[in-house]
Amino acid sequence: MALETSVEQAMGRVPITVLTLDGELDASNFTALVETVRDLYAAGSRHLLLDLTNLRFMASSGLVALHSIVRLMHGEPPPDPEAGWGALHSLGQDVAEGSTQTEVQLCGAQPAVERVLARTGLTRLFLTHPDRAAAVAAF
Amino acid sequence: MDRLTALAAERLASVLAPFAGPDSRLAVRLEDRAGVLLAGTPGNATERAVSHDIRLDGRVAGRLVAAGPPSDVPEIQAAIGALAAAIQALLAESTARHAAESALASANTAADARTRRLDDELVLGRRLQRSFVAIVPPDVPGYDLATHYEPATEVGGDFFDLFRLARRGRPLSVVVADVTGKGVAAALLMAFARPLLHAAVDHASGPADALERTNRVLVEERRSPLFITALCATLALPTGRLRLANAGHEPPWIIPGDGSPIRSIEAEGPLLGAFGSLGLFETETELGAGDVVLFYTDGVTDARAASGERFEEDRLLAAIEAARGGVQAGRGTAAEIVESIRAAVTAFQAGVAPADDVTIVAIGRRALAPRRRPGRPLASS
Repeated sequence: MALETSVEQAMGRVPITVLTLDGELDASNFTALVETVRDLYAAGSRHLLLDLTNLRFMASSGLVALHSIVRLMHGEPPPDPEAGWGALHSLGQDVAEGSTQTEVQLCGAQPAVERVLARTGLTRLFLTHPDRAAAVAAF
Repeated sequence: MDRLTALAAERLASVLAPFAGPDSRLAVRLEDRAGVLLAGTPGNATERAVSHDIRLDGRVAGRLVAAGPPSDVPEIQAAIGALAAAIQALLAESTARHAAESALASANTAADARTRRLDDELVLGRRLQRSFVAIVPPDVPGYDLATHYEPATEVGGDFFDLFRLARRGRPLSVVVADVTGKGVAAALLMAFARPLLHAAVDHASGPADALERTNRVLVEERRSPLFITALCATLALPTGRLRLANAGHEPPWIIPGDGSPIRSIEAEGPLLGAFGSLGLFETETELGAGDVVLFYTDGVTDARAASGERFEEDRLLAAIEAARGGVQAGRGTAAEIVESIRAAVTAFQAGVAPADDVTIVAIGRRALAPRRRPGRPLASS
């Protein structure tokens, strides 16, 4: 199953890049998603909304992608799964200290995706919104 | 350049790099026989070191040295041992690959070589993975243990562990985990994490504490971009009391022996490796006579058919019910349940290369254990 992405711009309190994920996020495509976000950051995006309304499935490798995306949007070097053991877990530390990052937010997660995020505790990392309008207003 | 040096240059530098940071309490390095540094960071004469020999063709070719302050973290020592074993395996594979590549070099284009190399990575990861999980289940009187473990073509990173704890009553410990990633990076993390979890369970006051300890080491020492979901449980054999903590993993299921509905054991918490502390809690339940507790990884529920459909929980439930012979029959041993699930997943994904590892572990408490005292007659005369 493929994952298709599309990019739009929205204007909240700040300019927001909306990245829509359509399909299934799994081991076969999670690195491509990270690359897409790397390009967006390089092109100047600083606030990213991931619209998950049409994401039907997320495997555990999708969690790695989400974590990497947050790092990228903070201007940190993205962890390289092949190079392996060089990444810092500063984000986790931030969260442990009670602050949630706001550069990357999520909207429209369907029950199947929502369950994976909740079960693995990744909801701690993100502000989540029911739909795009609510999310854009929240940035 | 000898093979160990070649391997170090090619692959090990990045693997050992995180132990080289100024704030790492542990420095890990690879040396050749003469003590020349091949990868990692130079040692310090005053520190305490633990070393593991690295052998080539039966002879010591070098050693992996973990050095730092006298270690207060026995978990790390265990993990370093596993890392040495992983490097040993890499070396064996690398040797075979270099031989094969030089033989074929003239007949292949660069692109072919690259493809073959990627394939080798996957084969190697898979082999490493199997070697770490192939365990003999412990003998557990009064209980039946059944497992199924099938690594995917593209290694997913499942592992499990079953062992008796060295404490009063020798309870059974169960660990089922899934590294989120694939290939050699996932296999190496698994190699590091499995003994880490084992040692943590040995030293911890309970499953939640064991997962917290493991997470602390993973976050502070290892610094991988990959995560691990893990379930940890201890089972007190005489009472059937099951204590369980869950770090982001699929919840286990209780399959009651009396035919009553299957239920999941809810104990949710964040996965290992992403957060500084987890705040896990423990759930306690009792395994009655005839009950089975089932652990599995997402390779079961995420298994995909040629149509693109996923196996999902409903099919898992149906496979278990089939093994019980219908809800009312209240039968189905641990082995029957594992086999029924395995067969259902295999049939479901017929014609599709499995994308993820499949792990199933079931523990059943025997229904009736006739009480006999060894060496005594059954009736006095």
